[in-house]
Amino acid sequence: MKTFSYTITDEIGIHARPAGLLVKEAKKYNSIITVSVGDKQADATKLMALMSLGVKNGQTVEVSVEGDDESIAFDNVMNFFRENL
Amino acid sequence: MKDKIFGVLQRVGRSFMLPIAILPVAGLLLGIGSSFTNATVLETYGLMGIMGPGTILNAILQVMSQAGNIVFANLPILFAIGVAIGMAKKEKEVAALAATIAFFVMHASISAMITINGETESMLSGAIADVCGITSLQMGVFGGIIVGLGVAALHNRFYRIEFPQVLSFFGGTRFVPIICALVYVLVGIWMFYIWPVVQNGIYAVGDVVLNSGYFGTWVYGLMERLLIPFGLHHVFYLPFWQTALGGSLEIGGKMIEGAQNIYFAQLADPNTEYFAVSATRFMSGKFPLMIFGLPGAALAMYKTAKTEKRKEVGGLLLSAALTSMLTGITEPLEFTFLFVAPLLYGIHCVFAGLAYMLMHIFGVGVGMTFSGGFIDMFLFGILQGNGKTNWIWIVIVGVVYFILYYVLFTLLILKLDLKTPGRGDEEEVKLYRRSDVTTRKNAEHQDISQNLKENTVSATIVQGLGGQHNISDVDCCATRLRCTVYDAKLVEKDLLKSTGASGVVQKGEGVQIIYGPRVTVIKSNLEDYLASNQEVFLENKETAVEEMEKESYYEKRGKVTKTIEIFSPITGVAVDLSTVPDEAFAGRMMGEGVAVVPEDGVVCAPEDGVVAFIFDTKHAIGFYTDSGISLLLHIGIDTVKLNGEGFETLVEVGQHIVKGTPMLRLDLEYLRDNAFSVVSPILCTELENNQKVRPLKEGSIQVGEALFVVDVYEVL
Repeated sequence: MKTFSYTITDEIGIHARPAGLLVKEAKKYNSIITVSVGDKQADATKLMALMSLGVKNGQTVEVSVEGDDESIAFDNVMNFFRENL
Repeated sequence: MKDKIFGVLQRVGRSFMLPIAILPVAGLLLGIGSSFTNATVLETYGLMGIMGPGTILNAILQVMSQAGNIVFANLPILFAIGVAIGMAKKEKEVAALAATIAFFVMHASISAMITINGETESMLSGAIADVCGITSLQMGVFGGIIVGLGVAALHNRFYRIEFPQVLSFFGGTRFVPIICALVYVLVGIWMFYIWPVVQNGIYAVGDVVLNSGYFGTWVYGLMERLLIPFGLHHVFYLPFWQTALGGSLEIGGKMIEGAQNIYFAQLADPNTEYFAVSATRFMSGKFPLMIFGLPGAALAMYKTAKTEKRKEVGGLLLSAALTSMLTGITEPLEFTFLFVAPLLYGIHCVFAGLAYMLMHIFGVGVGMTFSGGFIDMFLFGILQGNGKTNWIWIVIVGVVYFILYYVLFTLLILKLDLKTPGRGDEEEVKLYRRSDVTTRKNAEHQDISQNLKENTVSATIVQGLGGQHNISDVDCCATRLRCTVYDAKLVEKDLLKSTGASGVVQKGEGVQIIYGPRVTVIKSNLEDYLASNQEVFLENKETAVEEMEKESYYEKRGKVTKTIEIFSPITGVAVDLSTVPDEAFAGRMMGEGVAVVPEDGVVCAPEDGVVAFIFDTKHAIGFYTDSGISLLLHIGIDTVKLNGEGFETLVEVGQHIVKGTPMLRLDLEYLRDNAFSVVSPILCTELENNQKVRPLKEGSIQVGEALFVVDVYEVL
């Protein structure tokens, strides 16, 4: 399992559109990708769960990637966060 | 185009690394061996007794010299094979074999042409060489490189060629050596006419050198370096070293011709007071270059390599630099940057010329057996004494050269981002950006459609063998594809037979699928398929999943077991999702559903269920229906920017409400004026593969009226 922390720079946080894109990205991999903030966590392939986290600008999320393709998934998901959130 | 050429050059450069790796060792053997078996050297230093012919030491040194020499003598064929291996995409061993054959065929053709035309006598000295026992044109590593590149190109084009059944034994990889041999007969004949013209041109430059003093010496040094990659330097410098072109001098009563001959005659003559610079000007320039300059370049390449690669390239560069310093054999070092950064080599040539010129100006009289390493400098410079040779100038100029090369190489490599060893980025795991993936996908798509037929066969074979994970290895003989699997139980013989096999034999984990002679093509395709599958799978999983979904709806779906109705949360006009002016919604990226253009200001619960979340900006609500569907109600487009203005929430997160309960009040006027659009997608965000949205209505719709249903199919 690989994890990284990321502080959201998107003004509105993880709202509908970036969440949708994240789901699309996360679905590419076999790995289970989990986004957590505080004690709440969400499977990155579940749009509703992601949005329910209510992540706002400036909050730091922990993202964990676990599975057989975790190295590539990890890199790409991290990149995704940097570019979109 | 430029990038493409550069990319090819870089691959050529990398494919050189394999044969180059042997050169430092061969260079040391040759350098030490030949210096200490040279009769003149031994006589001059009175070493005949212990190292002269007949002694054990001499025997050892001779063996060393020969063992090292054979590598250099056959460098062209090593490059032919190395480049073919490096440039071939698949089945590299076949390319290696084909390159060997093509190399022999080309030189044999040239040789035959020479015999037929009886031109051996009339050709320039140094123009003819013994290439692997064939009397052919001296083409140096250039001859090897044209074979390697050509064979790789032919190989990549033909290694999967298919022929009609009768000829199919000769298909696939077996065709590669055949076509290469044929093509290189022609190349050989062509070279017979082209190469001597080139050689004559080079020879003509010799006149310029002789007639222009110091400048001529510079031209000599420049040309000699410049011609090394083409093997043409022999044509160029040998006349100077061995014929009257390099001067003639009377030594001890005998007329001696040629620069090197003059030097050794003087060395053997006890009356020599000072070595003739007119002769050594064709030699001494190598010393500052090889002992000082090139090692400076090596240090620069080491320092500019990526930190994590330094260890790896350090070994190569250090040994190459040592070889250059000790023996004056520079190919190992020069070939590391010649092809990846031709500019550096160009600069190197200019400074090589300057080195010769400076040695000429400072009257340095140091000769050499065959190259300018420390061994030769010690024997023919230092041991002779500064009074006779002025060798100290080699060191003075050399130190400047070291610094100059180091600084210049470092600056240029960094400034132009030249891909010297340890700086290339191909081997690295690349972080893919969207655009990369798309380009790659498109490229793959073309490839895939081209090879669709082959891939279907390969895919079926893989399936028949119990999937990629079950395949241990794949090989073939004349007619059979021989595979080893991990679990024999997973093999499906019928499926394998359906790929056009005439029979399938299975013994435990060994599976033989009999195809006949075309099996080589099938094997190549299968290997390609297996190799690319892993990546393609990852890249295309998205598309694959989408296609699978479609398939499961249209082909594999069973009966509808359940239908879940979702009611319109608002009064307005129902429109197709694809009309929403936001590609994330229109492209179904967020989920499947229907959009409603609200005409009333109250958003109600579309079913009994729980409010999953309400955005701070109140423009979007997540809702879990009791029937198990996750819904996103996104009111308006880009309404996130309104910061909650125009919205009023009437429920709280976590609240369980019944269908029709008001959840949100909208200030429609305000929204119409300020939002990008009021059209509101009502989406199922997490449909299972067996669930499909079926819109029920388009046009005007009342709150609470059925908007769409989710059909749940039986999973087959």
